[in-house]
Amino acid sequence: MDQVAVQAKQVVRREVFLPPYLLLLLPAVTFMLLMYGYPFLSSITRSFINSQGQFSFENYQKTVDLYLKDIGFTFAVTVFSTAVSAVLAILLAVYLRLRQSALSRALTGLYKIPIFIPFVVVAQMMTTFLAPHGLLNLTLAKLGIIDIKHPLQLFNFYGLTFGFVWKMIPFSILIIHGGFQMIDNSYIEAARSCGAGLMRVITRVLIPMNRSSILVALVLVYSQIVGTFTLPYMLIGGKIPTTITVDIAHRINYFRDFGVANTLGVFSYLLVLATAVYYLKSSVRKVTGSQASER
Amino acid sequence: MNVSVKRILILTAELIMLVLMFLIIIGPMMSLFIWSIAHRWYWPNTLPQEVGFEYWKQALGMHTSLAIGAISIVPAFLLSLLIAVVVVIISMLIAIPAGYALAKYRIPFGAFIMFLFLMPNAFPQQPIFVNLLGTFTRLGLSGTVQGVILIHILVGLVFGVWITSATFKSIPSYLEEAAHSVGAGSLYTFFHITLPLAAPGLLASSVFVFITSLDEFTGTFFIGLPFVNTLPMTLYSSSGYNMQFASVIAIILLIPSILFMTLIQRVLRAEYVGGMG
Repeated sequence: MDQVAVQAKQVVRREVFLPPYLLLLLPAVTFMLLMYGYPFLSSITRSFINSQGQFSFENYQKTVDLYLKDIGFTFAVTVFSTAVSAVLAILLAVYLRLRQSALSRALTGLYKIPIFIPFVVVAQMMTTFLAPHGLLNLTLAKLGIIDIKHPLQLFNFYGLTFGFVWKMIPFSILIIHGGFQMIDNSYIEAARSCGAGLMRVITRVLIPMNRSSILVALVLVYSQIVGTFTLPYMLIGGKIPTTITVDIAHRINYFRDFGVANTLGVFSYLLVLATAVYYLKSSVRKVTGSQASER
Repeated sequence: MNVSVKRILILTAELIMLVLMFLIIIGPMMSLFIWSIAHRWYWPNTLPQEVGFEYWKQALGMHTSLAIGAISIVPAFLLSLLIAVVVVIISMLIAIPAGYALAKYRIPFGAFIMFLFLMPNAFPQQPIFVNLLGTFTRLGLSGTVQGVILIHILVGLVFGVWITSATFKSIPSYLEEAAHSVGAGSLYTFFHITLPLAAPGLLASSVFVFITSLDEFTGTFFIGLPFVNTLPMTLYSSSGYNMQFASVIAIILLIPSILFMTLIQRVLRAEYVGGMG
């Protein structure tokens, strides 16, 4: 009888046996499905539902009529800021890689500071720094570069770019410099001994060998800028043109218009579609790739 | 002779570049600091005519003033702290098991689960908050501290899961197998072998979630305003009419971020920092 009971117990245990990871993953996956998956899908579906609750393209018509300029502005600011950040970050990372002096080491400590500063603080900094009566204009006037009666107006495309670049360059350097560090000195020395100048070393050795981390930096900077709300909201607010994120906030706060707000959201998804696909693909490949190599 | 002239020229150019860069990095921060101590700063003076710590004292609740916009930020600071602590506890309770599962098991639909945790980094998050506002309003959660806590968990959980999973992955499995072979059960092994080894990484991950919650703006803006005034919300609402207060709050927000992040620099990875702010 005992034996039968043991056997029965084993059968039962095998029947209720669940892999332990299901239980471990359950809370996190449930939370993400409810709090991320569901609102993500409904942001797309609700963009096709008009104020009467019917399926229509009304929201898209309205968005194109009212906000096409802002969508273009968002795209322009993002591309411009990403390009400026990338060029400056590559130059500075090359400098840090090739020049190992006390000065460049001091710089390494300094350049990282903006990475840790939250966007809301960056926004406050930029509103005080870039204002017509702000420190930048006052300093430039003191140096005689501009006339104090005609200060630079920077609560626009250029100020926004300055803010994004200020915040993003350090972050880009962190990634790109990390990639440069992996390149062995022997490659640089070999190129030099074959008579390559500095420019050739940079364009033919350093940048091609570090292409992947430069691409990662570009992708992360680009997709982050498209989704940033704080800096444009506090710096240029409701002025025309402004960014998609500011328009979404206005649509919600003043009109409770979820249809158009979601349509604007879909446009912001479309702006990052290419970078998002690249990011997701390469991240999943990296994780599964490292798992495969462990086995 | 010619060579040394060239060297001096290069060094000078380098120095000028470095000074310029130093000024650009430090300029906006200086501007914030000067505003926070400016009692009187009339245009077009380059620097304030009168400086002092009056606004700091008012903000920290050491002086009360009847001036417009004069507020004590102590309640907002305590609220932010409370939210951040609760968010860290709940997030880590969810993230540690998930991170462990992702690191140690081969999971069917693994790619789908990874996608779910990577999506928030790949796409703008604002539309998510907008749609949660609708849901939360129906559930009576908008404008409440609980609602804001849920939003902060959403923002922090992704970092929590990825950092804990990377930590568990770095612990070699032969240590666990050794414990099993001398008769330790799974739970005993986890709590006596794996967890202590993972502690530094888990601590770093908690700090990350804490800072993310402390600095969170966009989600709180949609879900919390106007009833839940965290520190970033107070900064936002005072930046419109009182530069000094806003600057004081900005500096106060700056300090824990820089402090904690320099502490966890060792485990810093670009992908995690990417979602900051």
